[in-house]
Amino acid sequence: MGNRVLLADDDQLLASLLNFRLKKGGYQVHHSSNGKEVKEYLQNEMPDIIVSDIMMPYCSGIELIDYVRNELKSKTPIIIISSAGNEQNVLTAFELGANDFITKPVSPTELLVRIAREINK
Amino acid sequence: MAISKSKDLLSQLSQLERTVGEYSFEDLNAHEAKALKDSFNSFRSSLEKHIYSPNLGEILPERKENNAINKKEVSEKQFIAHVSHEIRTPLNSIIGFANLLKEEKLTQGQHKKVDAIQFASNTLLKLINEVLEYSKISSGNNNFETVDFNLHSLLKDVMFLCETLILDRKIELLLDIDEDVPKIVKGDPSKLSQILLNLLGNSVKFVEKGYIKLEVFTKKRKGNDFLIEFSVADTGIGISEEKIETIFNGYAQAENDTSKKYGGTGLGLTITKEIIDKLGGEINIDSTVNSGTTVRFVMPYTLGANSSSYQKSIKKSTSTKDGKILAGTEILVFEDNKMNEHLIVEQLTQWGCTVHADIDLDKGLYLLSSRKIDLILMDLKMPGQNGFEVSKAIRNHKNNKVNSVPIVAFSADFTEQDSKDCKEIGIDDFLLKPYTLDELLNTVVKNKEDKKERTDFSLILQKPMIEPKETTVVDLTYLLKDCFGEVDMLNELVKLFKLNAIEFIGNVKINIKTQNLKEIAMSAHKLKAGFAMIKADGMRNLIVELESCCKTNQPEKVKDLYEIFLKDYPLLEDNLNKNLELMNKK
Repeated sequence: MGNRVLLADDDQLLASLLNFRLKKGGYQVHHSSNGKEVKEYLQNEMPDIIVSDIMMPYCSGIELIDYVRNELKSKTPIIIISSAGNEQNVLTAFELGANDFITKPVSPTELLVRIAREINK
Repeated sequence: MAISKSKDLLSQLSQLERTVGEYSFEDLNAHEAKALKDSFNSFRSSLEKHIYSPNLGEILPERKENNAINKKEVSEKQFIAHVSHEIRTPLNSIIGFANLLKEEKLTQGQHKKVDAIQFASNTLLKLINEVLEYSKISSGNNNFETVDFNLHSLLKDVMFLCETLILDRKIELLLDIDEDVPKIVKGDPSKLSQILLNLLGNSVKFVEKGYIKLEVFTKKRKGNDFLIEFSVADTGIGISEEKIETIFNGYAQAENDTSKKYGGTGLGLTITKEIIDKLGGEINIDSTVNSGTTVRFVMPYTLGANSSSYQKSIKKSTSTKDGKILAGTEILVFEDNKMNEHLIVEQLTQWGCTVHADIDLDKGLYLLSSRKIDLILMDLKMPGQNGFEVSKAIRNHKNNKVNSVPIVAFSADFTEQDSKDCKEIGIDDFLLKPYTLDELLNTVVKNKEDKKERTDFSLILQKPMIEPKETTVVDLTYLLKDCFGEVDMLNELVKLFKLNAIEFIGNVKINIKTQNLKEIAMSAHKLKAGFAMIKADGMRNLIVELESCCKTNQPEKVKDLYEIFLKDYPLLEDNLNKNLELMNKK
């Protein structure tokens, strides 16, 4: 059984590509496109790593980190997908306990390397 | 004539010999000292041999072929040219070794004497060059032209140039052109300015205070033929009566100490007289010691046509204040004639340029490689290493910083062959002497700008060209790689991309009416990633700009950009489909 990845991204296009590549990379992927869904999922199941877009409807990436770290008290690695011009948010994400970040446009190959690195720590 | 000139040369030489003789070479015991003495002695003996040799044929092998009638005259000219050339070589070693000597540890007395050797040698070298020019003019080698030119403008320009020569004194420069002097005349403008600059230059040298006045009027008129009189009057030191008689007779300065105080070789007036004679004019001098000198000369001119090339070139197309656009320009000037060099340096400096003059090739190359030089001004007819050779050396230099600097050549005569040579060597432009300040300014600006344009152009070439259809370009090869070459996945992603785009179009349509820019910005933000994935960089830039216009609250701009998007997106989708089709076929 491969490691489980929670992919939280409302961009269907990017999510499709990442989903495809993660599966090719041997991961089990659960994709969710809004924050509400993500929270519900996490109440029942904790994946091995979370990859989340910083901008999502209903619950931003920042809120998600806060939820995982402070409410669920989980140390599951979190990688944030940010876009250019969001530097301040990235800092906040790190302060709240994000493990890594990757900037759009996302290279799937790079993301896979970062995921593997976090999981193998 | 030539023989007597050469004898004058000898008298100058014996002065140099006296200086060298006073020098205590034994004290020095340096290798250079011996070499200097040797080269001086061989120089002297070879010169004496040539001048007193009863058989000129020895150095004139082609003599026998000459026509018997002008044999003597031709021999003399060739003799002068030959001797001048032969003198130069050893003279250059004297100068060279004297320079080396100065590098040694010398006592103050020795230093002074080396200075004297250098001064005398340099004077001698100048004299030789002037002898050459003299022989060129009197043998008819010098070309005279007959063109229409604006006499009034030329006079004003000459006066302006003279103004730049007066630095340390308060001298009034006056120009009085009588109204009956025609504006456009036919003649040789280049030679006229040479004459005037020479005479005015003399006045500038000899006047401590007072004025210099150039008066011009028509002395005689017969139809279209004019005899025009020019007079240059000054309040200078004046010339004694007995000296005036000999002043045009070759090398002769008014008093023995004249050159010590005022410099010069004494050939200026001789050359001036030769030119005036050749042009069918006459010159005379009137002077009183301690009160001033007036030089008058008359020249024949015919009335010129109004539409002339020279007039055109003299037309004021730029005013002098435009010289400001040259501020900060760094220019190298290769010019051996000190007066011309002074004029050009003075003018360029006034325009705010940094000028490096009084340089030879080695120093020039050093400056070119160590500083950012914008332009090179090059006199083509320099003695020794001429402008062509120097330009060639610069163009052939292996350092790109050195060999790419624009070169503007200037010369008093410019033949078709010169023009060809210039092109071949890579000289960018040329200025015909005498040039007006405007011509100088225009040429400098033009060639400096040319260079700027060239660099700008190369910068543009380095950047991708911005085409109007830039917003329709896509490239799926990268995305296909990300899909590990799986075309099905690629098709799926392209389908999703198109949905995103349609969603965006609908979203903006609704929100633009209500001016809900925040919503449009969100929508645009979401679309950016998609355009990045299909490498539609042009369209992505447009979306980025649209998003930022939303954030800065510019609804009009947002609308404009959205309209471009609506127009170009279908074309982009066409390209996208074609691109995908190609991938599917593979």
